[in-house]
Amino acid sequence: MSPESGATALKRRQRRTTLVGWSFILPNFLGFAALTLIPVLATLLLAFTDWNSYSTPQWVGLENFRRMLDSDTFWVALSNTGWYAVGHIPLTLAASLGLAVLLNQKLRGVGFLRTAFFFPYVTSLVAVAVVWNMLLSPDLGPVNQLLKAVGVGHPPGWTTSTDWAMPAVVITSVWRDMGYYMVLYLAGLQAIPAELYEAARVDGAGPWQRFRHITVPALRPTTFFVLVMLTISSFKVFDLVQIMTEGGPGRSTLVLSQVIFREGIKQGRFGYSSAISLVLFVIVLTITVVQFRFQRRNER
Amino acid sequence: MRRPAKVLTAAIALALLTAGCGSGGSDTTADGKKVLRIALWNYDQTPEFKALIDGFKAKYPDIEVRPVDILSDDYSEKVTTMLAGGDTTDVLTMKTLTDYARFGTRGQLQSVTDEAAKLDKAKYGGLDAYDMDGEYYALPYRQDFYVLYYNKSLLKDSGADLSGLTWPDYAALAKQQTRGSGGSKVYGTYQHTWRSLVQAIAAAQTGGDLLGGDYGFFKDQYAMALDLQKSGAAMPWATANSQKVTYKTMFTTDKTVMMPMGTWFAAVLLQEKAAGNFKDDWGMAPLPQLTADGKATTFGAPTAFAVNKKAKNSDAARKFLSFASGPEGAAAVAKIGITPSYTDEAIMNTYFSNQGMPSDDLTKKAMHPDTVKLEMPISEKSSDVDTILTEEHQLVMTGEKSLDAGIKEMDSRVKSEVG
Repeated sequence: MSPESGATALKRRQRRTTLVGWSFILPNFLGFAALTLIPVLATLLLAFTDWNSYSTPQWVGLENFRRMLDSDTFWVALSNTGWYAVGHIPLTLAASLGLAVLLNQKLRGVGFLRTAFFFPYVTSLVAVAVVWNMLLSPDLGPVNQLLKAVGVGHPPGWTTSTDWAMPAVVITSVWRDMGYYMVLYLAGLQAIPAELYEAARVDGAGPWQRFRHITVPALRPTTFFVLVMLTISSFKVFDLVQIMTEGGPGRSTLVLSQVIFREGIKQGRFGYSSAISLVLFVIVLTITVVQFRFQRRNER
Repeated sequence: MRRPAKVLTAAIALALLTAGCGSGGSDTTADGKKVLRIALWNYDQTPEFKALIDGFKAKYPDIEVRPVDILSDDYSEKVTTMLAGGDTTDVLTMKTLTDYARFGTRGQLQSVTDEAAKLDKAKYGGLDAYDMDGEYYALPYRQDFYVLYYNKSLLKDSGADLSGLTWPDYAALAKQQTRGSGGSKVYGTYQHTWRSLVQAIAAAQTGGDLLGGDYGFFKDQYAMALDLQKSGAAMPWATANSQKVTYKTMFTTDKTVMMPMGTWFAAVLLQEKAAGNFKDDWGMAPLPQLTADGKATTFGAPTAFAVNKKAKNSDAARKFLSFASGPEGAAAVAKIGITPSYTDEAIMNTYFSNQGMPSDDLTKKAMHPDTVKLEMPISEKSSDVDTILTEEHQLVMTGEKSLDAGIKEMDSRVKSEVG
């Protein structure tokens, strides 16, 4: 065998390996390209057009963005989305971490409890929203009955009040999501070597000190992941709000994704709704990048 | 061996790519019948569609009708998306005038002005709403309007006369009829959460303009609705909304004595009675009025069929439109308690001869209002104004905003955001 033919054989083998590799990712990539990549790129272009989904898009430059900045509804929705995130992210983080630490202990029935807390996450969102609406009903709901029983004279109006509708949505979403992030935290907790705790205990560290100086730092990668996922999901929130309050009363729980849905699918202004999507995308991207920066700095 | 494997991979990839691109299938069946596709909603629960399709099939046995069934709540969004994707479904049901305005102005519908010309205008109502610069792009087949339903069994001994009610009479009667408390409470009336039950009534009876940006004419109607819920004679809006109360349940489980609602509800009641779920006697009265001058003004909305511009079988689709909007379609829907657009004495007799349909004089009077105004005028602004009015309606009805502040906000938002 001459050296050249050896080289061609090698090249051919390499090419074959590459092709095999491609063939593995191809089915998934085709789906991704057709359903995610191309639409995302299209959104980028459509944001600068006037398009009703039927006729040819008309290039309008920055008109959609100007209209957005002038729109009262956009600012209301943006600030509501921010409020939702500010409530949902820390509360879910704290609740899921607390649950994970509690359920990481050797208790009787811990398997049942873990399943029970995870259950809301696999429950149909419509059912969750409807049941919580009933629980939080101002006159007849068990929550307000309980509050009245313990002496609260004027319990909140929850989804019927502009001040309390957003807290109601946040409470429901925390209840629904905490089980999922709890599972992530449980996995993180189980990866912490038991020796660390033993050594700390020998040195006289109490439960709070062990939590603060071992658990929290060791969970940093998990926390980072949870934080990023929570941020993204908070800014994208749509379904729960749509079913629980439809953005109301008034515009008190109207979030950006609802405006995107209304403007695009309902009103047929796809250019304008693409522009709002783009802004939402940039906001989420910026926050995520900032989070990554922080994480990297902390690692150093 | 290697080559066939590659060819196979390529073939599969190609098949995967093209599989998603087919649209709608062929336009004829295996035995040569033409296929007519009709976009509609909740086929199983909306008997009018079956009644029309069965009637049409009997007349044209060479056409195979295939319903494209869409969830009612998602109907307009789904049809918007379908049309954007170049869908070829032949007939599109126009659920609301707002949808019609949108599809029509975008050029997604075929003109059916020639079919409209064949109809007897003296007997055919609701067509005017579909006029777009002298052209019609849809033909209505049903014409709903609002009446006052009442439970005869609950009202029986009161001696109340519902024939010429004004709104103050109605409010007083509602208060007088409210009884019980807690789980066994019966409200004097139930006004569903829709903004139209306050706003469209006010617009129709005072002549106010729903798109105008000047909503002072809502005031009396809101004051009455707020007073009804405050006095306990009507379920509070907030409760009805957060519990997702359905008007059907309110009426058929004896939770309310009266209820203003659209004529489509008669068909629902007939079904409920036939199924044995509702045992009481019921009747209709004209919607209460501003003054007791004997004239009945109400609001309502027609429902229509249109032909898709990209229809595969335009001929069959046009045949379906003229069937549904004409006397044969009207007879078919009247037979199940639906109010058709085309009416004459024979058709109304069919309507009132339904098993379980009340045929007293008051009900007959309710079915013949003097004026039926449109629920919402068609314009490019309609849908944006609708959103604002709905949001502010919620705030007024939940007491988050005072009536005056709410109306002021409606004025200023419609002026600044819609123009």
